[in-house]
Amino acid sequence: MADVHPIQVIDLSKQFPRKKGLGTVQAVSGVSFNVQQGEIVGFIGHNGAGKTTTIKCILGLLKLSEGKISLWGGAPADSKIRKRIGYIPENPDYDDSFTPMEYLSMFASMRGLSGVDEDWMKLLKRVGLARWETTGIRQFSKGMRQRMSLAIALQSNPDLLIMDEPTGGLDPIARKEFREIIIEENRRGASVFLSSHILSDVETICNRAVILAGGKLMAEGSMEDLLGEEHLYRITVVSRKTGEEVEETIPEADLQNRIDALRRDNLPIVKVEMALKSLEDVFLAATGKDSQ
Amino acid sequence: MKAVFTFSLMTLRMLFRKRTLWGILLVILLALAGIAAVPSFDVSNQGRFVLDFGLFGIEVGALLLALGLAANLYPRDRETRTLMPLIAVPLSRWQYLLGRFFGAALIQAAALLVTCLGLMLILLFHKLPIPGDLLPATLLIIVEGWFLLSTVFFFSFFTSPPLNWPLTTMLFIVSQMSVSEFVGILPSAPGLMRAVRMLLPHADVFHIKDPIAHGFEIEPVYFLIAIFYGLCYSAFMLSVALAVFRGRDLK
Repeated sequence: MADVHPIQVIDLSKQFPRKKGLGTVQAVSGVSFNVQQGEIVGFIGHNGAGKTTTIKCILGLLKLSEGKISLWGGAPADSKIRKRIGYIPENPDYDDSFTPMEYLSMFASMRGLSGVDEDWMKLLKRVGLARWETTGIRQFSKGMRQRMSLAIALQSNPDLLIMDEPTGGLDPIARKEFREIIIEENRRGASVFLSSHILSDVETICNRAVILAGGKLMAEGSMEDLLGEEHLYRITVVSRKTGEEVEETIPEADLQNRIDALRRDNLPIVKVEMALKSLEDVFLAATGKDSQ
Repeated sequence: MKAVFTFSLMTLRMLFRKRTLWGILLVILLALAGIAAVPSFDVSNQGRFVLDFGLFGIEVGALLLALGLAANLYPRDRETRTLMPLIAVPLSRWQYLLGRFFGAALIQAAALLVTCLGLMLILLFHKLPIPGDLLPATLLIIVEGWFLLSTVFFFSFFTSPPLNWPLTTMLFIVSQMSVSEFVGILPSAPGLMRAVRMLLPHADVFHIKDPIAHGFEIEPVYFLIAIFYGLCYSAFMLSVALAVFRGRDLK
């Protein structure tokens, strides 16, 4: 099993019937990718790109229209495989008549874990809910519910963490804490599949990224490959109309032509510097939307 | 099965903390107290009257509890997304369904036993004898309640709670009808109506309030057969509910 990928998605397609039987909506179309052992893979895309649909297919919550998904070579529905997964759903919620400690105890029992209250206290402390262990979840904010979700996902020391927008409702400090926990879990040996809108998070912690748009795979590769394919340069010129400095980012291949053109137009070039390519640039290029 | 057991307890605790349970229980107990307060014609009739209507009240209570406790369980779990963390990892769909069912069934049984106790207190208050078959009769109503609960679960996987209530109530009413009464709904197709009635549940097997009120003894084997029938029908309804649930996409 060691050489089998934790997640392997082959030609996944998912259609949903429209309301009143008026045909179908293609949510995901022919998507293939994998998550290898020990990787942190970022899964990025616009709203409605098909990220959550893909994750729910991976977890067996949605039936596949076409394609195949295997987790460590087995079926997602296999209970032994499911025990190895920790999952943070998008906008998680819990029955608000319980406290975090009650929830963790019950989830532990359902998962057949042998931990005691002390272990769950440590876990709550780790996710920043130490002072809230006996507070009803009904009093929790969105961010606290997400921390709760993280605690439940980490409870079984999973081999695979699947996270759907885990840092969406969090403040910058909480996001940093989340990132640190994800990295710690990865160092422990867990593979991580992280769906996120926050590209800086993905860029910071992920080894690879899978970019989805309109239900189709637009790009996939390691961060080095995605960010390092070509260099970008930033040229600063003085605008003839306003007299203010204006920046322009262009690929290396176009650099000389652009400088020549600016000189022909007698536009004063203030500086030319290498611009670090961000995941946002890659994402916008891959999904066909330019920030300009 | 440990996961089912734990989830049943979780469901039980959740339902115990909701106001719905206590509201319905209060309504049933008030209705029972109201029945006892109705003046009777003579002393020998009063016991019969209180028992007959009291057991009927408990039976309607079983329906109200089934609907009140379970009609909104799955739809609410989906709407509030509490379903996702449960189904995605620790529980299979059958474990979720059985856990929710057993949790609700236990609390429903406890609530019906409380109403039976209430009826006993009313009988004692009026210095009326408590028949020995009152507890077994309540047990049969509990089994009927479980059947109704499984029906509510079945409907909840493809209807909304406002539709679940009339559908379950309709099945409850039909299940009380004799074959001749049912054929009377559509007399032009007696064969078809007979066949349909045979397939539909026969909740009349759970009703022994008349013989009890009139002081007749019930054979123990009757209780066993009625309980077996009720449990089999509940299992059948849950199996169909599971088949529907398994075919559902959890968007």
